[in-house]
Amino acid sequence: MAALWIMNIVLLAVAPVLVILLAGVLKSAKSIVPRVDAIAGVAAAASKDLDAVVVLLTTQNYISQVVGSLANYGGSLDAALPDA
Amino acid sequence: MSLALAVMIVLIVVVILALAVFLIATIVQLVKINRGLATVISSVGEIVAKTAPVNGVLDAINGTLITGRNLLEGLFLKKAGDDAGGLVESVFPGEGAKFQRRVGRGGPVHNIGPTYPRGAAILASLLGTPPPAAEAAAPPPAHGTPEGRIRLSPRSPSGGGVATAPPPAPAPPAADAPPPTPGRITLRSRAAPMISAQPASSPAQPGPGASGATEDASVPGRVSARGGRPWER
Repeated sequence: MAALWIMNIVLLAVAPVLVILLAGVLKSAKSIVPRVDAIAGVAAAASKDLDAVVVLLTTQNYISQVVGSLANYGGSLDAALPDA
Repeated sequence: MSLALAVMIVLIVVVILALAVFLIATIVQLVKINRGLATVISSVGEIVAKTAPVNGVLDAINGTLITGRNLLEGLFLKKAGDDAGGLVESVFPGEGAKFQRRVGRGGPVHNIGPTYPRGAAILASLLGTPPPAAEAAAPPPAHGTPEGRIRLSPRSPSGGGVATAPPPAPAPPAADAPPPTPGRITLRSRAAPMISAQPASSPAQPGPGASGATEDASVPGRVSARGGRPWER
C-alpha cells in the first residue's frame, strides 16, 4: 500500500513536467507555421520578379548591335584620324 | 479496490489524455508546416528554373562589352599614343594607371587635362614655347569640371598640338611663363612655328612643317593663324 502511494506521488510530480514539455513542443510547432507561410509568399514574389529575366536575351541582342555599331564607328575613326 | 489504486488509475488517465491532446495538436501543426514547405519548394524550383540561363547570358554580354572596350582602348592607344593614359586620367581621375596596366604600358601617368588653361595650349603651340602653369591661368569654371581646360592630341600631321577645346581666350605671354614643373607635359620639343622665320610682308606663306602660325603685320606682336589653314585659303 505504501508503494502505491509513493507511485501516486511520483505521477503527480511527473504529470506537470510532461504537460510543460509538450506545451513547449506545441508552441514551437505553431511558431514555425507563420514563418513558413511568409517564406512561401516571398518565394512566390521572387519567382514572379524573375519573369523579367527573359528580357536579358533582348538586352544581349541590343548590346551586340551596339558593339557592332561601335566597331563600325571605330573603324571610321581609325580611317579619319591620324595615328600617334 | 483501495483508494491508492483508484488515485493511481486516475492519474495515469490524466497523463495519457494530456499526451494525446498535445501530440495531436503538434501533429496538426507539423502537417501545416509540411504543406507550407511544399509551396516553398515549388516556388524555389521556379526560381531555379528562371535563373538557370542568367549566367550564360551575362557572360555573353560581358564578353561583348569587353570586346567593345578593348576595341575602343586599342583605337585610343593607336591614336593618342603615349598620352593615352594621361587623357584617360584627365577625364576619369584614377583610371589612367589602370588603363596603362590594362594595355600593358608602364611609366607615370600625367594628368594632362587640367594642365593647360583654356587657350594657353594653342597659343603655346603656336609660339613653340611651353604653356604657362595652370596656377597662373584663369580660374576654372564654377562647376570644377575639366571642360574648361584644353586637351591636346599628342601629334598632328603638321607637327603641332591640336586643341580639342573651344577657341582660345587671351592668355598670358608664353615668354613670361614659368618653367614647367616635373610631370607637366609641355610642347617644348614640338616644331617651332614660323613666327621669327617668316617676314612680316608675307604672312600667308608658312614654311613646311609649320603649325600654321604667322605674325600679323597689322598689329606688331600679335599672333595669327590666318593663312596657315588650308580651308581658309
